[in-house]
Amino acid sequence: MTAEQAEITQGRKFSGIWIIPILALVLGIYMVVDNLMNEGPEIEISFATANGLEQGKTKIKYRDVDMGLVQEVRLNDKFDGVIATAKLDRQALSLLREDTRFWVVTARIGVDNISGLDTLLSGAYIQMAPGSGETGYHHFKALDRPPQTPADAPGLRLILRTDRASSVSAGDAVLYKGFKVGRVESMTFRPSDKLVHYEIFIDAPYHELVNGAVRFWDSSGISMSAGANGFKIETGSMETILFGGVSFGVPEGVKDGDSVAANTAFTLYSSYAEILENPFKYGTYYVVSFSQSVKGLSPGAPVEFRGIQIGQVERIMLKEGQAMNMTKGVKGSGAPIPILIYIEPGRMELPDTESSIKLLKQAVTRGIEGGMRASMEDGNILTGAKYISVDFFPDAKPASEGVFLEYATIPTIETQLAQIVQNVGSILDTINALPLADTVAEANTALGSLNKSLQSLETIMENQSTQQLPVQLDKTLQGLRDAISSLSPNSEAYQSLNSSLLSLNRTLGNLESFTRTLSEQPNAAVLPSKQTPDPIPEVSN
Amino acid sequence: MTATAASRHLASCRICYKLADANLHKCPRCKAALHLRKLDSIQRTLALLITSCLLYIPANLYPIMITDQLGTSEGSTILGGVIILIHHDAVPIALVIFLFSVLVPLGKLMTLFYLVWTVKRHSPVSPRQRTVMYQITEFIGKWSMVDVFVVAILVALVHLGGVLSIRPGVAALCFAGLVVITMIAAERFDPRLIWDEMEEKDRDS
Repeated sequence: MTAEQAEITQGRKFSGIWIIPILALVLGIYMVVDNLMNEGPEIEISFATANGLEQGKTKIKYRDVDMGLVQEVRLNDKFDGVIATAKLDRQALSLLREDTRFWVVTARIGVDNISGLDTLLSGAYIQMAPGSGETGYHHFKALDRPPQTPADAPGLRLILRTDRASSVSAGDAVLYKGFKVGRVESMTFRPSDKLVHYEIFIDAPYHELVNGAVRFWDSSGISMSAGANGFKIETGSMETILFGGVSFGVPEGVKDGDSVAANTAFTLYSSYAEILENPFKYGTYYVVSFSQSVKGLSPGAPVEFRGIQIGQVERIMLKEGQAMNMTKGVKGSGAPIPILIYIEPGRMELPDTESSIKLLKQAVTRGIEGGMRASMEDGNILTGAKYISVDFFPDAKPASEGVFLEYATIPTIETQLAQIVQNVGSILDTINALPLADTVAEANTALGSLNKSLQSLETIMENQSTQQLPVQLDKTLQGLRDAISSLSPNSEAYQSLNSSLLSLNRTLGNLESFTRTLSEQPNAAVLPSKQTPDPIPEVSN
Repeated sequence: MTATAASRHLASCRICYKLADANLHKCPRCKAALHLRKLDSIQRTLALLITSCLLYIPANLYPIMITDQLGTSEGSTILGGVIILIHHDAVPIALVIFLFSVLVPLGKLMTLFYLVWTVKRHSPVSPRQRTVMYQITEFIGKWSMVDVFVVAILVALVHLGGVLSIRPGVAALCFAGLVVITMIAAERFDPRLIWDEMEEKDRDS
């Protein structure tokens, strides 16, 4: 019995069946370890609203590959936003960079496309766009709207600034010679500088067209003008007519500038015409001060160098001038008036770049030593408009470049015309000083007595006898006319008078010869005259 | 007490049920191995029970069914499904699923553990009651497969391409394994052992 029982206890040995639970355990441990190993990062993304987000359902995608799932959606501590906690795949770890962007993709009907239609059925998802910064970030702020351009797209991102919002809005096209080369990504208004900021992106390879000299202008809508040649309508592409757009280009006659870095700020002009008025970008300010009248000199007046426009008058710095005089203790109004002028090197065929300004400044400094002076000239005698002329006056008193506030100054000179005007002014002053008032008073009294004389003359004229004078005069004249008519050539009186006159004439002729004889021989009247023989003609040998 | 086959050292062939002397080691009729009791019954049952326990964890934690609906796939665990059903006011169905998919496997495992534990020890529960427990366990065990069947049928039927399709999850496999292994464990357990203890006691007394 004992032996048999020993056999039974043999069954207590370790059974092979234990392999099954061990296998299960190993598999279980493997699963757990695998799970832990593949445990992806947990990130928090803050949104403005939880629109489209559903915990446990909303996916995070990158290039349409599922990268994770939103685990939890909750309000933030301040209740002004939503924080979505998402679990990502381990693979996504290297994509979580400083500037990685997230945004919700939903169906969106845009200006030129409709996107995200697939989300109508599947629900919104979170799109991820890895940046290029450092990895290891777990808190992100989602974008309000999808970025127009992927972060790694080749091209150039620029900023346009303008002082008023035009019809350009986010999503509009950026055109170069009418061809779409980019788009407006965002539009923001900054209260700090009171400017509208547009962020635009220009796709490669067109970003090479952008250089320091290009100008951006609003090419939205239709520009219409009527002139002698009829109506003229200018438009961009159909898209820009409907939705607006931004064009850029180098203005005619302007040389290409330097290449620009990303996020360079440009000014957005309201039209191309505005650029044509002001085609240069770089310029520098100078101050010129004049003691003469600045009447007729208005902002925008040209600044010319020997007749070539090199800039314009920016403004008359009356306020600054006064402030300056106050500090300097100059009293009265005799101080010169400072005028701010803006000189553009591009107008002198220099490249429209920053370095040209330096060149220009050097030239001005040298020029002042050589007698370069600014003067105010009459541009238009009819309107009295004036301009600033810069020229060389070798005989000018030596002067040097000064400083007014933060601006350099160019010494000024009064031109001959201005001097003449001054002389004329002084002459007029002398005239003014004459006792004109007394003269006029005397003249007035003289005129008064003249008036009286005239009045008495009038009473005389009004007298009955005076008025009858013409009638009597008429009668007299009639008698006179009759008398004259009786003396007409056919009349007897005339004939007899005529013959009388003829005989009188003869008598007078005789009298004349008598008087001659009498003058030769005063005794002829008494004595007979001595007869002289008649001259005999002779023939000369 | 009447003498048992075991006390007379007689073993029943597990294949053809012929009663033969256990010392023969082989069934004189069908030549199958002859054992007085099921070989390593306790050990094997215990091992399988532990395996089942291990499977019970993923079976409940992982989704049993993955629903792909218009691009979004959503996994649902057994308990998650029960909760969803309750939310949809389908309490009876939720109860059935909870009973057969959660409570029954758990109860079965615990019952078997208890039976194995009490084979060689004194138990306040009488052998008869324990035998009834064993019978219930064995009977009810196969019904736990309801869940697996539901998943299997849904997977086979609901396959509408991208619009709606259902895939079995990891838990389905684990759950099926759990049920099968628990059934084998129950089968491996030799209920005669429950009574052996009592007989030994009788003999001792």
